[in-house]
Amino acid sequence: MTPNDPTFQPAAQTDEELLNAHEALLAKQPDDRAHYKLMPLALLFFFSGLILFAATYLNRYSGHFDKTIYDENALPTDHNVEVKIDPVVFGKQLFASSGACVTCHQASGQGVPGTYPPLAGSEWVNGPDERVISIVLYGLQGTVHVTSKSFNAAVMPSFGPSGFNWSDEKIADVLTYVRQEWGNKASAVTADQVAAVRAKDGAHTAWTEPDLLQIK
Amino acid sequence: MISASAPASAADSGVVEAYGHRPLLFLAGFALFWLVISGFFALVAGIQLHAPAFAAGCSVMTHGRVVALAETAFVYGWLGGIGLALTLWILARLGGEPLRAANWIVAGAAFWNLGVALGLVGIAAGEATAIPLLELPLPVQPLMLVAYGAMAVAGVLAWTGRRRDVMFASHWYAVAALFLFPWLFSIAQVMLLWFPVRGTLQALVAGWYGQGLWTLWLAPLALTAAYYVVPKASGKVLPSYDFASLGFWVLLFVGAWTGGRHLIGGPVPAWIATIAIVAAATLLFHYAIVWVNLRHAHGAGVPLKFLGFGLSAYVLGGVLDALTAIRGVAEVTQFTYFSEAQHQLAFYGAISMMLVGAFYYALPRLTGRPWAWAGLVRAHLILTGIGVVALVIGLGGAGLVQGTDLNNPAVSFAEIAAHTEGWLLLATAANVILLLGNVLFLINFFKSALCPFYAAAVKSYRGEAALEAAR
Repeated sequence: MTPNDPTFQPAAQTDEELLNAHEALLAKQPDDRAHYKLMPLALLFFFSGLILFAATYLNRYSGHFDKTIYDENALPTDHNVEVKIDPVVFGKQLFASSGACVTCHQASGQGVPGTYPPLAGSEWVNGPDERVISIVLYGLQGTVHVTSKSFNAAVMPSFGPSGFNWSDEKIADVLTYVRQEWGNKASAVTADQVAAVRAKDGAHTAWTEPDLLQIK
Repeated sequence: MISASAPASAADSGVVEAYGHRPLLFLAGFALFWLVISGFFALVAGIQLHAPAFAAGCSVMTHGRVVALAETAFVYGWLGGIGLALTLWILARLGGEPLRAANWIVAGAAFWNLGVALGLVGIAAGEATAIPLLELPLPVQPLMLVAYGAMAVAGVLAWTGRRRDVMFASHWYAVAALFLFPWLFSIAQVMLLWFPVRGTLQALVAGWYGQGLWTLWLAPLALTAAYYVVPKASGKVLPSYDFASLGFWVLLFVGAWTGGRHLIGGPVPAWIATIAIVAAATLLFHYAIVWVNLRHAHGAGVPLKFLGFGLSAYVLGGVLDALTAIRGVAEVTQFTYFSEAQHQLAFYGAISMMLVGAFYYALPRLTGRPWAWAGLVRAHLILTGIGVVALVIGLGGAGLVQGTDLNNPAVSFAEIAAHTEGWLLLATAANVILLLGNVLFLINFFKSALCPFYAAAVKSYRGEAALEAAR
């Protein structure tokens, strides 16, 4: 049996020798006639370097340990910052959201001939602000004439208190979007305008065409 | 026979019988069996990476299940079983007393392996959890925890009942592994499965568990074996042993903090990734000390060849962990095959190779006779050496190609699959080689460990029969 026999590796020391040899190394005291071994200098520098790197990196890229900071280069900010939202972008999202405008009026704004009136080029959309706000807030039922065609088959639901219950901002933004899309060129609608209509009409029921035409 | 080999080993093997080898052989034998099983599933999973239609008609063989099967059999079946068997044996040897509570080991090993088997059946049936490295179906997990505790009892008794009040490096790592796994495993169970935390915290706990399993359980198991076998086989005192304890404490304190490196570039607050990067860098100190301590592992003899390979892979893996944790590098490597290459380098190249080396050293001392076939030992060494290198290079190459392509919006997914195919074929070839090597390992184990019992049984039976006939 040779020392390099792959089937058996002889032990070069007993368990007792192993324990004793290593025990002796640890038993040395610092002042034991200078037998205390310093950490090899290279290892000491290596460890110090790692600690320096670790401390510097942690300080620089901690994001101040803030749970809302996902970019390691960012600094903490005031959490109540007002975020500026583009009403056209947000309005487009609202328009296309499930069950909202796009369902009937279509992404093209053309509606469905004979059933749902178009928004593109509509005299209602491009008409007085308060009228169009009222339609969205409270809904519209009965016959309505749009681009000299008559529509009677469907009901416009309320997006206000008795329906989808959208906020003033949402209604303002979706109207702003609709009033500048598909060639429409009417002014933007503000949340304050919507709030004013809401305050004036309270729990109004769905509008009809003749009543709406009273609004100038 | 051993007593005829060398004077030192003669004294060394006088107490073979007293150490209670049969429970440990029972535990180790099952572990080897799971190694081969996991190799089979790893091969199927590897083939599916470049031939997605492979075995696609069979629900048990879908990719997600096969990956979970391979990983579970490897980590809990193979690494856990063999690591624990070696740790218990080493604690008994260093304690200088026979292994006590051997019945606890037998019962624990039986239920642990039953748990693994039930777990694999559950995973194959689609009951795996969604947590990496914790795929075992929920009902099996408490069983595994109790079974582990039963086996650990013998280890703790061997440690507390040691003849001399001396602690060697293997003691520290062994005791850490015995106590930390139940802690990790139970906390992960409660926080991820029984009463799951929600949102980002879930990913964090999963990352902590995956990393903790490696730094607080598997690495200590492997280092227990390495710190014992290297000086035993080389006959040398470990160089710079004075600082081994520093290496140990750095691993224990810093290790689990690197868990967040799996989430770099993921949807977590920046400080979590930053801490993980810092921890991965600091952990380099642990790897440096282990390298300095165990550098005699690169010596003659099969156990030392495995251990030397494992040690190199261990340190290389640590350096790669630190490098790929850097945000600029993680941008390319994270969430690609490269992470898988690192995983294989760590679990297969480092832990598994070190434990195999120690097992080649231990088995003749458990059975009282050398390994049966020298040719199979050499073949296993060569095949696993080539297999691990090819596997890591294949997956690593695929990962770099994939990571670079993913960052380029002009490259489509189909093109990425085409670009990585060659590398993944290399990885599959590696899986074939590894499976072959491990089958040889299992055969050699059966011949070496079980045939002596069989021969003895036959002999005693014939002896009785002869006695009967004489009367």
